[in-house]
Amino acid sequence: MLLMAGMSLLTAFLRMGVWAPVLEFTIAALQVAILFILFMRLKGPPSLRWVFAASGFFWLLFLYGLSMTDYATRHSWPTQRVEIENPRD
Amino acid sequence: MPSSRTIAPEIQYASLAQQGETAQIGMWVFLVNETLFFGALIFTYFLYRLSYPSEFAVAAKDAVLWCGSTNLVLLLTSSLTMVLAINAAAQGRRSEMVAWLIATLALGFLFLGFKGYEYFEDVRDKVVPGLNFEMKPGEAPAGELFWVFYWVATGLHAVHLSIGIGLILYMLLWRIRRGEITPTYYAPLEVVAIYWSFVDAVWLFLYPCIYLVGRS
Repeated sequence: MLLMAGMSLLTAFLRMGVWAPVLEFTIAALQVAILFILFMRLKGPPSLRWVFAASGFFWLLFLYGLSMTDYATRHSWPTQRVEIENPRD
Repeated sequence: MPSSRTIAPEIQYASLAQQGETAQIGMWVFLVNETLFFGALIFTYFLYRLSYPSEFAVAAKDAVLWCGSTNLVLLLTSSLTMVLAINAAAQGRRSEMVAWLIATLALGFLFLGFKGYEYFEDVRDKVVPGLNFEMKPGEAPAGELFWVFYWVATGLHAVHLSIGIGLILYMLLWRIRRGEITPTYYAPLEVVAIYWSFVDAVWLFLYPCIYLVGRS
C-alpha cells in the first residue's frame, strides 16, 4: 500500500499530462479495493456485507452516471479556456 | 478490572455471532450513506477541475504536499495497527490488543497534529476563502474554488477521524476495561475498525485530488 502511495506521488512529478490524474486515481481505487477486501474484511462471512458494499458502489455509479448525462451533453462544457502561466514555476 | 467476562446476546438475537454480524452489517449500511456523502463532494470537485483545469493546477501548488503525504502514510499504518488489534482480540491477547489500539490512537492524533499545522500554514499563506483569501500572481478567481473544496473536504474528513478517535477511546476506556471484548465476541471492535479504515479510504481519494494536482 505504501509502495503504491509512493508510485502515486511519483506520477505527479512526471510530465505525463492527462495520464497523471488517470494513473493517480487508478492507484487510489486499487488501494481502496485492497483496504475494503482485506482491512475491512469484506472477504469472508457474513456474505451479506458484499450486498451493501456493492449497493454503495452502484449508487455512486448512478450518481456519477446520471449527473454526467447532463454535463457531458452540454455544448459549452468544459469551456475552452486560455492556459494560465504560473510565474512561480 | 475484569480481563473478560461471559457475555450473553441481547434478547433479540439468537447468538453472539448473529449479534456481531448484524452490528457489522449496520456499519456497512451507514458506510453506504457515507460513500454517497463523500462521493457527491468529490464529484463536484471533478466538475470544477474539468471546468477550470489551469486555475486548479496553479492554486493546488500552495497545498502543503509533505503534510498530505505524511498523513497518508500515518493513516495507512493506522489501518494496519487496527487490523492487528482485531487479530489480537480474536486470539485473546488482551494486552497486545490494547497496545495496537493505543498505537492506532497515537497515529490518529499525529494525523490531526499535522493537519492542524497544515491549517496554520494555510492561514498564514492566506488561502482561506471567506476569511483571508489573497489571489497570488498568476492565479485566477476560479482558483478559490479549489480552496473551498480543500477546506470542506479536509474539514469533514478531520471530523470523521475525530469521531474514530472517540470510538477507539470508548473501546479502550469502557468496553475493554469492563471486559466486554472477548475472543468469542469482539464485533464492537470490528465495527470501529471498519469505520476507521473507511476514513482512511476517503483520504486515499482526497490525496490525489488536493496534493498531486499541478505538480509536474
